Amino acid sequence: MFKSNFLKSVLLLSVFSLLASCSSDDKTIPATVTLETKTFSNLYAPQTGGQGQPVGGAFTKFSFSQNATVIDDSWDIAFRGTTIVVNGGTAIGITDEPTRTGSGAVSIVSNTLSAVNTIPNTTTFTQDGANTYAIPTGSGNGWYSYNATNNLITPIAGKVFVVKTHDGKYAKMEIISYYKDAPANPDATALSRYFTFKYVYQPSGTSF
Amino acid sequence: MNFKKNIVVLIFIYFSQLTIAQVAPDSIKTNQLQEVIVTGTRTERNVATLPLPTQIITGESIQKSGLSRLNEIIQEQTGLITVPDFGGGEGIQMQGLDATYVMILIDGQPLLGRSAGTLDLSRISVNNIDRIEIVKGASSCLYGSEALAGVVNILTKKPKITEKLKGNLNYKLATFNTHDVSTTFEYGKKKVGIELFGNYFKTNGYNLSESDFLQTIEPYYNFTIQPKVKINFSDKINLSVNSRIYNQNQDYKAEIGTDKNSGESKINEWNNSILLNQTVSDNFKLVYDLYATNYKAHEYLNDQNNQPFDESKFNQWYYRPEIRFHYKLGKNTLSTGIGLNYETLDRTYFENKAALNSEYIFGQFEWFIKEKWNILAGFRYDNHHQYQSQFSPKIGVNYKWNDTFSLKTSIGYGYKAPDLRQLYFDFTNSSVGYTVLGYNVAEEKLALLQSQGQILFTNGFTFSTPLKPESSVNFNFGGYYKKNKLSFDYNFFYNTIKNLIDIRAIAQKTNGQNVFSYFNIDKIFTYGLELNTTYKANSNFSISTGYQYLIAKDQTIVEKIERGEVFARDPITLLSFKLKPSDYFGLYNRSTHTANIKINYLIPVIKTSVNARVFYRSKYGIFDSNNNNILDKYDDFVKGYFLTNLTLNKDFKHQISAQVGVINLLDYKDQNNIPNLAGRQFFTRIQYQF
Repeated sequence: MFKSNFLKSVLLLSVFSLLASCSSDDKTIPATVTLETKTFSNLYAPQTGGQGQPVGGAFTKFSFSQNATVIDDSWDIAFRGTTIVVNGGTAIGITDEPTRTGSGAVSIVSNTLSAVNTIPNTTTFTQDGANTYAIPTGSGNGWYSYNATNNLITPIAGKVFVVKTHDGKYAKMEIISYYKDAPANPDATALSRYFTFKYVYQPSGTSF
Repeated sequence: MNFKKNIVVLIFIYFSQLTIAQVAPDSIKTNQLQEVIVTGTRTERNVATLPLPTQIITGESIQKSGLSRLNEIIQEQTGLITVPDFGGGEGIQMQGLDATYVMILIDGQPLLGRSAGTLDLSRISVNNIDRIEIVKGASSCLYGSEALAGVVNILTKKPKITEKLKGNLNYKLATFNTHDVSTTFEYGKKKVGIELFGNYFKTNGYNLSESDFLQTIEPYYNFTIQPKVKINFSDKINLSVNSRIYNQNQDYKAEIGTDKNSGESKINEWNNSILLNQTVSDNFKLVYDLYATNYKAHEYLNDQNNQPFDESKFNQWYYRPEIRFHYKLGKNTLSTGIGLNYETLDRTYFENKAALNSEYIFGQFEWFIKEKWNILAGFRYDNHHQYQSQFSPKIGVNYKWNDTFSLKTSIGYGYKAPDLRQLYFDFTNSSVGYTVLGYNVAEEKLALLQSQGQILFTNGFTFSTPLKPESSVNFNFGGYYKKNKLSFDYNFFYNTIKNLIDIRAIAQKTNGQNVFSYFNIDKIFTYGLELNTTYKANSNFSISTGYQYLIAKDQTIVEKIERGEVFARDPITLLSFKLKPSDYFGLYNRSTHTANIKINYLIPVIKTSVNARVFYRSKYGIFDSNNNNILDKYDDFVKGYFLTNLTLNKDFKHQISAQVGVINLLDYKDQNNIPNLAGRQFFTRIQYQF
């Protein structure tokens, strides 16, 4: 019984993948349609200045489809310190801001990563703009909270970013650490500005 | 022969204490249920018929415990938990409600001086306490603001008109170089009785931390002087004048960065009450009550070069004239009162001296229906000038089945007015740079900061409607059972507070820090059960137990969790997950279970009594360790713990008695989480009565 069901599923899946590969022959297709949850560790996002001094330095740009940091315009989101920008909209007006060439945006959802299965309503997506951040800055406003007692930056639990990539695809992501090697309990010696995040990239569909 | 005489004297002393406690001088009954309580109704009421949950700590039990300060006594009582605040002072948590909601009275008059919200109980020496009456549940119907969770009334010994000089002298020496010296003199002639109580207390404090500069509790000393005069002008008119002068001086240190700053922290307190009792007729009594108090605190820090670094002052005055009428209609009593409150506070971080004033009226009817029923109904109306006026009703019913069994229930309204800090504070932290503004000055001060270019953006709060008092509805259902040697009482309680005042960020400053102000935000509830049993086997042996079950939660958070909006992070995978309703632990600093066992045993052979007390407090949380701003079961908790205190009492010849004891026998410590729990402390005390 189990076996026959299994066989049926395999058959169904192969047909599906066949159809999928037929419909989009002009693009590079991932080997499998099973969406994979990936972890990107230790994305280093240094900044200069801070603590009263003007903040500067290049943003570290990331591409979900390439699962890597990039230096060209194929980036989707970029990091500098606790600031995160998207490849969409207009310049915020901060120093050393990367040029936006894409149609990226972000929608912030309160949920667990695995429970976000659909793309939120388009009206919930925001882009960067003059003096406004698609992902708000400041403790408790965007993705992190700051503890003044131990000076630790902690990602807020249950914040999922559904990111519209520069080329109009979608990814859902959750930042899980701001410290190198994502220690469970970072202390004062932990190296900061190292992002670790989990994400699921959806190259073709509108659900996760 | 001599020995016999001493026993007689001793018995006399014990009984004389009980006599004072009873007010009605003709009844010398030791029966607990015949005990009289004044705090629940402001009339002398038999505990057994009073429909309110009450607790009486007798002077005898205080004396037998060998303890020195009120905080030590309070933490030995069922359902009362002492909670340390930022300043190191300890307040009382009652029915799961914060210390700020518990009114503390000395001889029926309110104590002031809550510079950070909590009133430090260690200010009060227990050496001349006759008894402590505790009424749990909202009592604003009699006492107005602050009496939201309950009232603790410390009744000190009253002067008696005896024709000879009487008194006592006692000295206690304890660990941490603690000295506690007390003396009382009593003298009376014809119509005048006077009593003078003096106490000097000094300690080196203690240190639970590694620091060799800062201590957990810095050394301090204080003295209390309490003179009292009573004049019986006639059978119908008597006058009592009570004063209390308190002065404390404590070392004050702070380590800011690598700088070591030192200074002093001083408290000067003064309470004065004049009470004129007039018996107009057999069934009509009038009380004229005039009370004034001043609480002054001053602290300063100097840097290493002895240059002034920081200084703060706090000067609070409070005046309250009140007239009470008690009218007896058969067995029933109708009481009414009118009065006014006038309070001023001048402190650092206030631009101007702030004042609060209100007038009030209260009424109460104690209605005895036949033998078994008693109904207590009361109200108070406070006409406040600075915030919404309040009407506080309360009703209670007591049903006395028979001598061994009774049931009681009550429902009441309680409130706590916004304090002057919440209205007028203007504070900017000099090292971090955040600002806290009182609600009434926030709009103006924020505009000022804006005009100075200090504000990045505002969060759009408006200040058009006045800040509302925090208000509660309290429900109690309980009763007692008493037969022969066993007594048992229980009480279910439920409290819900709305308009709880909390801070919110109203603007962000250009330095990245926030500006905060106070708002009516939260709604919390607490419920639980309190149980007490006493078994008195014979005159040599008694055992009592107490237990409280408590749930205390924030309604807003409960609803958020039900809607699936609260998350936590798995410490291993670091992924977020949704919290279940059962994951929410509740408010900070609340233990689900607290319990105690107390044993009193007189060893006849060596004529020494052993007084042993064991306390248990189950785990509780003091901060959110997983960054979702609520206390859930995945947070770090303060571990549950046991404490054991032991005192031995022995009476010698010539009215001398001695005590030895140990507090925290098992030396339980948790330096990071329980700063008010010092390690093991030994003490010895000697008392001479004349």
